[in-house]
Amino acid sequence: MSQNNSATAESAFDVEFRSVVKHFADVKAVDDVSFGLRQGSFHSFLGPSGCGKTTSLRLIAGFEQPDSGAVEIAGQSVVGVPAHKRPVNMVFQHYALFPHMDVAANVGYGLRQRKPRPDDAEIGKRVAEALELVRLPQLARRRIWELSGGQQQRVALARALINRPTVLLLDEPLAALDRKLRREMQIELQNLQREVGITFVLVTHDQEEALSMSDTIGIMRDGKIVQFGTPEELYDAPVNRYVADFVGESNFFSGAVASCDERGAVITTASGLTLAAPLSRLGGRLQPGSTGTIAVRPEVIGLWNKAAAPQGLDVARPARLLNRIYLGDHSEFQVEAEGLGSVLVRLPKHSTAGQALEPGDEVVLGWERSKALALADI
Amino acid sequence: MARARKWDWTAILLMSPSFAIFLALLVLPIIVVLVLSFGERAEAGGYEAAFTLAQYANLPARWAAFRNTLSLAPTGTILCLLAAYPLAYFLAVKASPRSKLLLLILVIVPFWTSFLIRTYAWIFILGGKGIPALLDWVGIPDVRLINTPFAVLLGIVYAYLPLMVFPIFVSLEKLDKRLLEASEDLGASPWATFRQVTLPLSAPGVATGCMLVFILLMGEYLIPALLGGGKVFFIGNALVDLFLQSRNWPFGSAVAVSLVAIMLVTVTLYLRLTLNRRGFRDQSMV
Amino acid sequence: MIDPRKEFMAQLRRYQMGSVSRRHFLGVTGLGTAMAVMGAAMPGLLPRKAYAGNIGDKVSLATWPNYHDPKDFEKFKELTGADVEVSVFGSNEEFLAKLQAGGTGWDVFVPTNYTVSTHADLGLIEPLDLAKIPNYDIAAQDAKLIGEGTVKGTVYGAAKDWGTTGFAVNTAKVKENPTTWKEFWDLTRGAYSGRVTVHDYQLTTIGNALKYYGYSFNSNDEKELADAEKLLLEAKPHLFAITSDYQPAFRNGDAWLGICWTGDGKQLHRDIPEIIYVLGKEGGEVWTDFYAIPKSAPNREGGYALVNFLLDPAVNATEVQFHGQPSTDSRTNKLLPPEMLNDPIMYPAADLLSALEFGSAATFTNPARAEILARFKAA
Repeated sequence: MSQNNSATAESAFDVEFRSVVKHFADVKAVDDVSFGLRQGSFHSFLGPSGCGKTTSLRLIAGFEQPDSGAVEIAGQSVVGVPAHKRPVNMVFQHYALFPHMDVAANVGYGLRQRKPRPDDAEIGKRVAEALELVRLPQLARRRIWELSGGQQQRVALARALINRPTVLLLDEPLAALDRKLRREMQIELQNLQREVGITFVLVTHDQEEALSMSDTIGIMRDGKIVQFGTPEELYDAPVNRYVADFVGESNFFSGAVASCDERGAVITTASGLTLAAPLSRLGGRLQPGSTGTIAVRPEVIGLWNKAAAPQGLDVARPARLLNRIYLGDHSEFQVEAEGLGSVLVRLPKHSTAGQALEPGDEVVLGWERSKALALADI
Repeated sequence: MARARKWDWTAILLMSPSFAIFLALLVLPIIVVLVLSFGERAEAGGYEAAFTLAQYANLPARWAAFRNTLSLAPTGTILCLLAAYPLAYFLAVKASPRSKLLLLILVIVPFWTSFLIRTYAWIFILGGKGIPALLDWVGIPDVRLINTPFAVLLGIVYAYLPLMVFPIFVSLEKLDKRLLEASEDLGASPWATFRQVTLPLSAPGVATGCMLVFILLMGEYLIPALLGGGKVFFIGNALVDLFLQSRNWPFGSAVAVSLVAIMLVTVTLYLRLTLNRRGFRDQSMV
Repeated sequence: MIDPRKEFMAQLRRYQMGSVSRRHFLGVTGLGTAMAVMGAAMPGLLPRKAYAGNIGDKVSLATWPNYHDPKDFEKFKELTGADVEVSVFGSNEEFLAKLQAGGTGWDVFVPTNYTVSTHADLGLIEPLDLAKIPNYDIAAQDAKLIGEGTVKGTVYGAAKDWGTTGFAVNTAKVKENPTTWKEFWDLTRGAYSGRVTVHDYQLTTIGNALKYYGYSFNSNDEKELADAEKLLLEAKPHLFAITSDYQPAFRNGDAWLGICWTGDGKQLHRDIPEIIYVLGKEGGEVWTDFYAIPKSAPNREGGYALVNFLLDPAVNATEVQFHGQPSTDSRTNKLLPPEMLNDPIMYPAADLLSALEFGSAATFTNPARAEILARFKAA
């Protein structure tokens, strides 16, 4: 990421970490992390639980202080500054709305903490505006427990935005919503971010959520950022198997690296199969003798009836169809391929080849070598 | 509306044992006491059937006991609350999970020994060879602690502390700690957070603790007898004397009925007040 | 000079050892419900029964604090196989109130002389079957002391012991050497304000306030009682405590002067020699405690067996040496060490004794006196 942003001035970062380290007892929750988030961008931290993404968020919020390194918000160091004095606000995982206050009291809470405290008319006006922003103007007098999950989500947003923070932090904000509502809220969050122009930092373990909303994503593992980039970069040019696994779906065929040059790598699988693929643009070279992986996206793989298989495929293996899952606009096929094991294939609805296939059929699968990626197996 | 009249036999069957216990242990004794309170003292003590309001007319004779109880019981409740809240707060919010268990046990452990033994220990601590001797040693002579209202209040706070600590602890423990972070995140200082979030959300525990302690204090007689040297006189002491010394059951019953009536009124008022205030506070937050 | 820390520890030890009776404060609580089951843990299994007849495995005794040697109950258990279940009370009113309320389960209790007739009139106790108490030899008793055990010619109470009500003085602190009730009450309101205890008991506290004016200990005269009440109300702010459990206050050094019964005076003097026991020159109270059997006794035979055992002169002598109250039984007195018989606390001089009065039943049951004490305590 530093290459991408090196041209930009330091002050253009709303949030910047430099070599930040945070321990909890013996565990390094955040391990020498550095990044900068451009002003007005939508950034996500993506990773499994325990990867350090939530701790990073809490370091920004001020609930944790770094053991070492620098944390800056809008160009100002905030090391040692308590949470209540930072120009950031958070939407908590389960919203953390105050149960003893109604909607308006929750939304206005941040304003009432200001010194000097704005007068009641001003607070009322700003609360109404904030509720308007999240499209809940009619619910000001409702009690929290009378609201649906989606409504609570919006109240939490309004409450966090009312102080016009420099950065809005979102800790798994959509995790508690059902799938359909989650889709809606994703779009709404994006719209809202564009509308208010504030830097949003989202923590999530849902790659689809991160990919669909973010300008930049930091993929984390064991307290470190494995890759930092745009969704496209992460999807098309993962630095290693871990990222490829986390972003989208892939079939992985690993084995010993037989050879590697700037055009690609050759890997010999345990079953003796030799597979070749170009290197990932951002991934770097593989060491011959080490373990490497050929990653193939399910939609890149073709599937044909044994008799109808085209000639001249870069990779073609006989296989047996195990299962077929109909998913509306596309279908997923699980096949057992000789030498490759279980492989996932995704074909569009109107694929002529796909329509005729039934579980138990003998098939051929294949892909173009250029569409696969050779990745370090870490 | 139409189905409101329908009997729910399962519920009735399930409720009947507790209802029977309620009737036998609570309602019947109160009825007995009520009946006795309109009677007369028999010549050699006890009860003689009559219908007279003389016992109630005689209530001012125990004015001092009512005055002591009605002043020391609320004072004791408030002191208990002041001592218990920080302790409960520390236990629920600040203490690490491991030390929390240990500290909770430490709060409970004294209650494994007899209440009398513990109160007697206070007689010794507050008596002439206890704290006053130490004070004398460091040059503060002639301090009297035992058999004073102070000693009674101390005994009350000591004895009732856990009853106050536990409801508050439970309400603070239930309190979602993310609410505190949310408040801090929104710009509230720790004290502002305590005032606007912690305190209102622990109010049910405070209300429960205060009620428990107050109701029990209204009937207290042992602590004033032991730590007050018989000089700090509660309604409970008046009742013990009336039933066991004067054997004036009708007058004792009248005093008891008055005590129950005072308690009903204060508890009702208190509940109204706390419930209303909480509603009021919610509205006024904006 | 005593090292205060050593003294502190000695006092603590004394508390722990129980010479400041744990049972005692159960008595003052007003609900002496604490039960102490004496004897071994396996009732009726091992011991052989030397007594005729089956008296069951438990006899229930309601008595006063510090009033029996627990070893004697162990002996009783060895002889009969029955445990003695002891409950302790602090006043005669309590005995009466509990018996009136019913359901006590007591087989024996220990009323004081002036309450025997009340119990008998109310039908709460039964005439004693003296054939079942061969150890109670009326001829050997001091006739002056046992009269009120007999009501209208029928014996209801077998005398246990007797005593007086005077006052205890800590002579290390109180230098005036008071010998009269007048001096007692004047010192209370004067030099020793805050250092005086009086009984939580109308009979003795009001009775000895009456003696200040030279009235009868038993006066039920309205005007005289009003004088006594005035004195008590004046004295109230000067009192350390109103309690019948005053030994701890004296042992702690908190109280220096206080109304006191013989046994307590004896026990205090034994442990702290500078505390002496004084009988007021104007008079005061002499009393006798009796064993009596409630009509409601669930184990009547056991009750008789226990009374008979405790009145055995040899057993009674160990009891007397334990509780420090003089015996009415000349056979028991013969078994006591001479220094006890010569002890002026237990056996005061004849001229002091002659001024004393027995409390009367009318004094005991007078509701006006009960009200005065209640007003005094609540003031």
